[in-house]
Amino acid sequence: MTPNVVILCAAGMLVTAYLMVGQKSLFTTIRLYGVQSLLLATVAVVMAISDKRPHLFVMATMTTVLKGFAIPLFLMRVVDRIGIHREIEPFLNVPASLLACLGLTVVGYRVSTGFAEGTVGVTHHVLGVGLSTLMIGLFLMVTRKKAISQVLALLTVENAIFLIALGITSGMPLVVELGIFFDVILAVLVLGILVRRIVDRFESMDVSRLSNLKG
Amino acid sequence: MTLLVWTLLAPLLTAALGGIRASRKVEEVVIISGLSVTFGLCLATAWQFLNGPMPTAFNEALRVDGLSALVLVLCGFIGLLSAAYGVGYTRRNDARGLVTPRMRQEFSVLTPVYVFAMLLVSVSNNLGILWIAVELTTLASVFLVAYHNRDTSLEAAWKFLMLGSLGLGFALLGTVLLFASAQGALGEDLTALHWTQFMAHASELHPFTLRLGVVFALIGYGTKAGLAPMHTWKPDAYREAPSPAGVMMAVGMLNAALYCLLRVHLISKAALGRDFSGGLLLTLGLLSVLVAMPFILIQWNLKRLLAYSSIEHVGIMAVGIGLGGEAAVFGALLHMTYHTFAKPVAFFSSGTLAQLHRSSNFAVIGRGTLSRAPITSALLLLGALFVTGSPPFSLFFSEMMILRAGFLGSHVIATSVFLAALVILFCGFAYQIGGLVLGEQVSDPVADPETLDWGLGVTLVAALIAIVSTFYLPGPLMGLIRAAAAVVSEGA
Repeated sequence: MTPNVVILCAAGMLVTAYLMVGQKSLFTTIRLYGVQSLLLATVAVVMAISDKRPHLFVMATMTTVLKGFAIPLFLMRVVDRIGIHREIEPFLNVPASLLACLGLTVVGYRVSTGFAEGTVGVTHHVLGVGLSTLMIGLFLMVTRKKAISQVLALLTVENAIFLIALGITSGMPLVVELGIFFDVILAVLVLGILVRRIVDRFESMDVSRLSNLKG
Repeated sequence: MTLLVWTLLAPLLTAALGGIRASRKVEEVVIISGLSVTFGLCLATAWQFLNGPMPTAFNEALRVDGLSALVLVLCGFIGLLSAAYGVGYTRRNDARGLVTPRMRQEFSVLTPVYVFAMLLVSVSNNLGILWIAVELTTLASVFLVAYHNRDTSLEAAWKFLMLGSLGLGFALLGTVLLFASAQGALGEDLTALHWTQFMAHASELHPFTLRLGVVFALIGYGTKAGLAPMHTWKPDAYREAPSPAGVMMAVGMLNAALYCLLRVHLISKAALGRDFSGGLLLTLGLLSVLVAMPFILIQWNLKRLLAYSSIEHVGIMAVGIGLGGEAAVFGALLHMTYHTFAKPVAFFSSGTLAQLHRSSNFAVIGRGTLSRAPITSALLLLGALFVTGSPPFSLFFSEMMILRAGFLGSHVIATSVFLAALVILFCGFAYQIGGLVLGEQVSDPVADPETLDWGLGVTLVAALIAIVSTFYLPGPLMGLIRAAAAVVSEGA
């Protein structure tokens, strides 16, 4: 039963990543990120129970509170306050993007077979999904114009790395994990402040306008 | 509380004091005295390392071996020097009414935090803490890049943050994979991520996972170091950051990032042999030197020129490490030391020149600056001689050492390409700076007159240190470089 829950949640994360690729509304993308984080937290909880690793509960709680709710709410407030044009305009259209992501998923699964733990069972799927989500996150980062959607792509990459860490190591040492959480929060705050400054100056958060510096 | 802990606390206290809104004089005294104390403590820690038991703290999570001690001293030095120049820089801007109290406060908080993060990088023996500290350097420096709050500074800060965070994401993945490669052999508490533990269990690491981890970690930390092709944030950030912050990025951050690269390289070397990560570093280093070449030749902005020079230098160091062997590694570490002393001269003088002309674009500054700002121009020329590695100055010797080791070793073709690139880079840089300083004045640019103020004084001191370091490195510093080289070539 437990392996199935883990695989289901991990697969759910991949699905949210795909939905992010296909989504045009900025608010929905932020919510999808929240759902993705909650799924990650569920994976951590299930692993904490089945492998008896209590420190994963701490990680799951932090993920739920911070990534599941605090960061999405903060980002929504930033978007709300900016209050301009909430549609996402990707550089690449949706069908082509989805096709590219399909290719990335195949690659992710292929790479996961190289690991010592990665050939069979749950870890194979968790690693495969983790690597695929990672690459989809990177793909989102290069194809999005809006500052906030680039931030979301970065956060997706972060989630994928956590999933890989869960699958392959059952979690990093607690102190390190807390430190990483602290840094992620700080990074989101800094990004938020920067987005607001960019909007104040450019009256847009289209980062493709940031192209004066060359050579 | 040990000496090591105080060394790290000193800049944090300075930052806390700097956060209090005070008059300009008080803020200047706080930042300079705070970072002087920090540098003093760095020296004391290094001294303790040279003469006694290895300084450690928190169950060896912080540990000062030869490599750490060298980077610690260099980062402490550059922190103090750039804060000192920063005082002069801010005074000049203040006189023109460009500085708000908030900007001053930002500077006096973020600079010490940045120094703290760099010092933490240089003493951390734990790969997790190392990552956290590097992330902290990024976050501390974003607002230094955005300091002037112009359109272009926001663009530069955005690129810097996105690329830096992405790089750090890779580095985090690399760290996770390195941890995974041990397959539980190292335990699960904090000590499991200790670098010393990895070295002790090198033979038990799973090769595939380790390889992947090393690649990700090298790419990730390489982004912070500014190795090509992850260097693209550098020219923008250097141009927009105020010159004192630019120096901290170009020298302090470079050293700290190189420290991370070395730690990862050493794990990989112990487990997989020298060629895997060595070859990767050699390739990235060579690529950096080659990428810098065309951009230096066609450059239109003084500070961006320096950024490409910085990309070149990190490339040289990576090549030195990648070539492997005692002589090349020693050359690379010597290069790092000399570079730390030499680079501020070029940065400070070009910063002053840009301030006098209100722009760092060649077109605005105009040729023939020697007649307008003789002392600064002369210092810039001197700085250019230093950073291009012209004889008889220091960087020439370290570059020669790396080249010699390369030609004697097994990488003759790579070294030949490297040598050719260095020669072209020298010509390009000399052409650009020579034209700027000595060229015939055609237009009549608007420029403030040069005055012998605090900033120029600091530049003169930096030049003096650079010249002295060419001919004489103090015994203890030489001892540190040797100890660091021993760590790198033996992996001990």
